[in-house]
Amino acid sequence: MGSDEAYNFVFKVVLIGESGVGKSNLLSRFTKNEFNHDSRTTIGVEFSTRTIQLKSLIIKAQIWDTAGLERYRAITSAYYRGAVGALLVYDITKHLTYESVERWLKELYDHADPHIVVMLVGNKTDLGSERSVPTEDAKDFAEKNGLLFLETSALESTNVETAFQNVLGEIHRKVSSKEVTRGSISAVSLSSPVPRAAGDPEEKKPCCRNL
Amino acid sequence: PTAYTWVLNLIVNMFLSPCFLCFYVKEYQVKVGPAPGPQVQLSAARRKNLEFEPLSTTALILEDRPPNLPAKSVEEAMRHKQEYDEMVAGARRRELKEAQKKRRQMKERFKQEDSIANAMVIWNNDVLPNWDCMRNTRRVRELWWQGLPPSVRGRVWSLAIGNELNITPELFEIFLSRAKERWKSFSETSSENEIEDSGSLQTDRESSLDLIKLDISRTFPSLFIFQKGGPYHDLLRSVLGAYTCYRPDVGYVQGMSFIAAVLILNLEEAEAFIAFANLLNKPCQMAFFRVDHDLMLKYFAAFEVFFEENLPRLFNHFQINNLTPDLYLIDWIFTLYSKSLPLDVACRVWDVFCRDGEECLFRTGLGILRLYQEVLLQMDFIHMAQFLTRLPDDMAADNLFSCITATQMLSSNRKWGQVTEVNWNSNSIFEKWASI
Repeated sequence: MGSDEAYNFVFKVVLIGESGVGKSNLLSRFTKNEFNHDSRTTIGVEFSTRTIQLKSLIIKAQIWDTAGLERYRAITSAYYRGAVGALLVYDITKHLTYESVERWLKELYDHADPHIVVMLVGNKTDLGSERSVPTEDAKDFAEKNGLLFLETSALESTNVETAFQNVLGEIHRKVSSKEVTRGSISAVSLSSPVPRAAGDPEEKKPCCRNL
Repeated sequence: PTAYTWVLNLIVNMFLSPCFLCFYVKEYQVKVGPAPGPQVQLSAARRKNLEFEPLSTTALILEDRPPNLPAKSVEEAMRHKQEYDEMVAGARRRELKEAQKKRRQMKERFKQEDSIANAMVIWNNDVLPNWDCMRNTRRVRELWWQGLPPSVRGRVWSLAIGNELNITPELFEIFLSRAKERWKSFSETSSENEIEDSGSLQTDRESSLDLIKLDISRTFPSLFIFQKGGPYHDLLRSVLGAYTCYRPDVGYVQGMSFIAAVLILNLEEAEAFIAFANLLNKPCQMAFFRVDHDLMLKYFAAFEVFFEENLPRLFNHFQINNLTPDLYLIDWIFTLYSKSLPLDVACRVWDVFCRDGEECLFRTGLGILRLYQEVLLQMDFIHMAQFLTRLPDDMAADNLFSCITATQMLSSNRKWGQVTEVNWNSNSIFEKWASI
């Protein structure tokens, strides 16, 4: 998908959180503007890209989504490797999915770059009448842990675009302000579509990418 | 009577529909709390149902029939109520059981996550900084046996496999660009007539590069990581292509894609290549990937020595049925079990393989046979062959590992290395004799 587009950066973003919170639908809403009411459980990795314009830059978001994390320990390392952003998703109507946020955060910091940009996402605001996680609670938690925070509805397409845009914008801010030392967040692009763009947050001529 | 049946069917169907059950139980838990009387439950369910379902199910079963139908008798009304209560109770039981199961699974998962996190700290703080002096200590070997935490797995594998070949990342780049050139020229010439003057070696190499393309799409297809358009598709192709150019004498052999894929899941591109090339350079892997039949037969023979020693009954059963080890071992050894075992289990086998070397591969094979011994003893040739080439995908790592533990790699006081060595020696004598 879109492998021939020109772009300045590739950012790898991972979706994490308990199963059933709507990760796959957030992904498909953002990359394809689709919502699937009876979506299957994600087996293995779902992988999508979307190219967005951020000021004068073209950024390719490479988004990984999996349910397999609990199921296959074997892919944990590949999943987090090189990720510069994460959306940690819970379901605002299921308190248990919010309670496990801390576990996911720990798992994330155990495996990913410490400078990774993380957004806490409370999904399913369309089910407001069944809400069991107060916005304020989650907001406080996010603030305390230095996470971005938004509530979304993949179904009604509320805040989905904003959520991804904010994460990508923040990643770009970190990279371009060189707040992050080279080497740690240098894995800006994955080796797969742009084999050697990685170490370089400099703008890159989008030629000679393909084999 | 047909109208009754219809109404009753409707009621039953609606109650049994999963959405009603979940919704009912949830409502009941929220509003009523544990162990209320049936009366309370009904009203709670009725209220909610009227909001969401115009054709109220509870109303149907509890209310009288429409006036154009004969009224329910007292008995019938009682029976309906009883049936209704039974369905509700059944739903509650199922839901409770489900919740209990889920809690148990969560607890198990948390426990596992905690032990992985603890192990990770030990590996990072104690073992890895002191690798050379700690790797063979009893404590580290035991920790290793428990399975490596995903965050250090790649590093430990790299260190354990080593880099006897002294491959540098730069060397990888050189072979990678060579592979890319060849792919490019290959795709350019393949549309035209094939080049006549290319030697047979050249065509072999090219066909082996083409084979890579075919195999990549078949490597862990359920993960969607390596297929075309997947995140690591190009990476897998790069590692395999570079290897083909690095070792044209070996080329690409089917089964390699699985090994490279498992390494890519745990290592960066160049590191994965270095580990891949060094791993394939081990004597056992070289014997298999170069399809050295004589050497392979020696490995099978050594395997059978330990097979007979450990599982005499099954060994006998295999012999009677003429089931030879090549039928299942080739697949297992070529892919280092990554195709045959569930991926997580396979990675644990790899952990031990990195610790113990080739002996572990054959010991694992015997562990699998031990695990399924009773099942296999009931089967004939064709069923055994099918079973062993398609192992159950629900195999639990702990069960397999206790079977591996129970497998002694000692035959008449000889260890694996000694048994294979004897075979090698007789082999070299045989070869010398044959070559004269």
